[in-house]
Amino acid sequence: MTRVTDDIIIRAVARVLIPFIQLYGLYVIMHGHHSPGGGFQGGCILGASFILYLLTHGLEEARTRMSEIKAGLFSSFGLLIYSGIGLLCLILGSNYLDYGKLSTILKVMPAQARSLGILGVETGVGIAVMAVMFSVFFDISTGGTIPESEEDLRGKDE
Amino acid sequence: MEVTVLVQTTDKAFEILEKARNEARELLYSSAKLTSETKSLEERREARAFLSGAQQSRLALRNFTITSILLFAFWILLSGRFDYFHLVLGIICSLLVAYLSHDLLFANIRLGDVRIRARRFFAAAPWFLGQIFSANLHVAYLALSPKMPVDPEIIRFKTKLESDISYVALANSITLTPGTITVDIREGEFFVHALDKKVAYDLNTGEMEDKIAHIFMEADHVYIQDVLDVSRIFGALK
Repeated sequence: MTRVTDDIIIRAVARVLIPFIQLYGLYVIMHGHHSPGGGFQGGCILGASFILYLLTHGLEEARTRMSEIKAGLFSSFGLLIYSGIGLLCLILGSNYLDYGKLSTILKVMPAQARSLGILGVETGVGIAVMAVMFSVFFDISTGGTIPESEEDLRGKDE
Repeated sequence: MEVTVLVQTTDKAFEILEKARNEARELLYSSAKLTSETKSLEERREARAFLSGAQQSRLALRNFTITSILLFAFWILLSGRFDYFHLVLGIICSLLVAYLSHDLLFANIRLGDVRIRARRFFAAAPWFLGQIFSANLHVAYLALSPKMPVDPEIIRFKTKLESDISYVALANSITLTPGTITVDIREGEFFVHALDKKVAYDLNTGEMEDKIAHIFMEADHVYIQDVLDVSRIFGALK
C-alpha cells in the first residue's frame, strides 16, 4: 500500500493533477458562503490530494511534503482558528460564533462581518479536516506507529 | 623440443589471458549492477550539483511563477466572480498552492523549454485531431460493415521516449485514437491492443511517437536550445 506505484501513467498524471486538485479544494472552501461546499468538503478534497500523493509516490516522499507531526500541528491550528473566532465573538459580548459583533473590530457593516467571519471559520474547519484526513490515512498505511519527533522521522528515512 | 615448449607457453599464456578476461568480466558485471542500483541516487545528486545555487533558485522561481499563473487562470474559470475580494482570495490561494507543489507540475523540464513545447504542441495538434477523425471513420466502417472484419491483437514495441510525461502523452494519444488502447507500459515497452491490421500498421509506423518526441524535445534530436542550456551551466560552473 505504501510503496511507490510502478505504473508510470498514474504517477505522472497524479503529479500534474495534484496542484489543480488542491486549488479546487481551496476554491470550495473560499466559496462556501456563496455556493455549495464549505470547510468540510474543501478540506476533504485537500486531504485527498495529499492521499493521492502518498498512494502514487510512496510513504517516504509523502513525509517530505507533509509528515505526521505537521499534520497534527495543522489540525490543532485549524481548531484554534475556529474556536478563536468563536471566543472572540464571546469576548466582544455576544454569543459563541455570533459573527455580527466582529463588525466592531473589522470596521465594516454587520452583514459583511458575518460573511467574513464565516469565511474564517470555514478556513479553520478546512485546515483541520485536511490534516485529520491525511493523518488518518497515514495511521492506516504505517500500521499505527507514531514517531515522537522530527528526528525520529529522519532516522527512519536513512 | 623448442616448438613444444613454445606451444606450451603459448597455451599457458592463453589460459592466463582467459582467466583474466573472466575475472574482468565478473568485475564489470558486479560494477554494472552496483551502478544500476545507485544510478537514480547519483543522478539526483548530479542534477543537484549541476543546478547548484543561482541556477536552481532561478528554476524554482520560474516553476513557481508559471504554476501560480496557471492556477490563477484555473481559479478564474472556476470562480466566475470578478469582484476585488474574490480575485485577491484567488491570488492568495494560487500562491499558496504554488508554494506547496511548484516542483510537481514542471518536474522534468529544463530551462527555456516551456515556450517551445507549447508552440510545438499547438503546431502538432491539428495532425492529432485529423488522426483521431480518420480513425473514427475507420472504426465506424469496421462496426457497420456486415462482415465485421475485426482482427484484434496486442502489439508491443519499445519506445525511444525518455521522460514520464512523454510516456503519458504517447499512451493517452494512443488510447484517444479509436481502435487502439494502451494496456500497459513496462520499462519503456508499450503494450497496445489494436482492433485490426490497418490500425496496428498505422501505429507501427511510429509517426505518432515521432511527433510526441518532437513536442517533448527527446530522442535523436539535438537542438540549439540544448547547446545554449549547456553553455549556461558551464558559465555557472566557471
